[in-house]
Amino acid sequence: MRAAYRVEIRKLLRSRVAFVATALMGVLLPAMGLGFYSVAVSGGTGSLADKAAALLTGEGWAGYLGQVDQIAAVALFLGAGVVVAWVFGREHTDRTFPSLFALPVGRGTIAGAKFLVLILWMVALSVLIAVVALILGVIAGVAPWDAGVVLSELSRLVVISLGAAVLSLTMGLVASMGRGYLAAIGTMSVIVAVSQIAVLFGTGGWFPFAVPGLMAVAGMEGIPALTPIQLALVPGLAAASMWLTVEWWRRAEVV
Amino acid sequence: MTAPIEATRLTRSFGAEIAVDDIDLEVGTGEIHAIVGLNGAGKTTLMRLLLGMLHPDSGIASILGYDTEDATSAVWGRVGHLIEVPFAYPELTVKENIVASALLHSVPTSSIGTAVDRVVEQFELGHWANRRARVLSLGNRQRLGLASALVHEPSVLILDEPANALDPAGVVFTRDLLRQYAREHAAVLVSSHHLDQLARVAHTITVMHRGRQVGMLDPAGVDLEQSFFEIVHRSDMAIREAQP
Repeated sequence: MRAAYRVEIRKLLRSRVAFVATALMGVLLPAMGLGFYSVAVSGGTGSLADKAAALLTGEGWAGYLGQVDQIAAVALFLGAGVVVAWVFGREHTDRTFPSLFALPVGRGTIAGAKFLVLILWMVALSVLIAVVALILGVIAGVAPWDAGVVLSELSRLVVISLGAAVLSLTMGLVASMGRGYLAAIGTMSVIVAVSQIAVLFGTGGWFPFAVPGLMAVAGMEGIPALTPIQLALVPGLAAASMWLTVEWWRRAEVV
Repeated sequence: MTAPIEATRLTRSFGAEIAVDDIDLEVGTGEIHAIVGLNGAGKTTLMRLLLGMLHPDSGIASILGYDTEDATSAVWGRVGHLIEVPFAYPELTVKENIVASALLHSVPTSSIGTAVDRVVEQFELGHWANRRARVLSLGNRQRLGLASALVHEPSVLILDEPANALDPAGVVFTRDLLRQYAREHAAVLVSSHHLDQLARVAHTITVMHRGRQVGMLDPAGVDLEQSFFEIVHRSDMAIREAQP
């Protein structure tokens, strides 16, 4: 496992896809949240200000980080999903997949190492988003400052970001079976659309891909509380898809 | 004693297309065995079966005496291969690619530096050692693929059209390298779609056509090209006559 991990971490660190995704999500996402929050509390009357105000889940830091939560719930699934799709799909697109056969390190181990590297990256990215959100909030002078509230809201942001990101691990299976990253990118678009419909019909809690979004707006009027089982579906789905992907890699042929 | 590379009545189809049809083949220690055939003859499929990249419909593919379906890590650790596309991740440098291959071939960490330097020098990749693989020419990518396949000094070598994209110097160099590996008791299986320099250094030449083993060529023969096309033509005629 250590050899495969060393190879996979090197590939991810050198990858432009991962670098761009990290930079865009790590910096732009909190900045967008701050932008929406600023518009919402500006007292403006435009349609953007009305919409941003309607999405406010609280005041001060809770309101600002609530906006970041809502963006992260969707953006992390899509952004991390592109990286997951690349990590698995590129072996087919770049035609390096045959090179991973007839090695002392099994393909199941290689797939496991890819997931390990991706999960570590997702944890680091989620923490980065929270740190950048904190810095931007301080610079922008979001008030009132309450260390307890800020810490609790930042922890919530990390959990929502990580929840959305680990759901994108499912794209490892799609990219593997689809033998390229395009299949996964198409699938993600469908999932985001279906999540919206599931939420509209009030069944979103049972659709794991909608759970991070519902967590981000928890407490708002008309949003039902998520049950522990519904919350457990998120890591459960990620774990099941990782297991299936590893099994696919163990059994796959070069075609 | 079992040969290091062995195919016994190996067959594999893709739908109605029989890609490899009842092939028997042995490559002994210290032997270079070339498979020649036109495009689509089944050479790559045969090599993929021997490397466990495909499961046979029937028959057995074995490496170092082990059925490839249940070969252990220790067995695969003694195998080097280059099938179609070289082991070359575009975002990694030449050296990083070879290190990655060494790691995946279980070269001990303490020996990786020496092993990488050895093949970088052998394949004259020093000038490009710290450049990303994406900037390499096709020929240098092929050199990198060969360096990655040999970094762990395998005793079984399976190379699919290794002369692809190589310049004349590269072909001569690779030919000499194969000879050296055979001298050092490796079993070498190479394929080619024409009778190039590499096929000509083989001890045994098998001709494949439409998935079948249709003849052998004498490497010491005078007009190999002519003999090759005669075998292929005879095979085509036999198939035509057998059709209702």
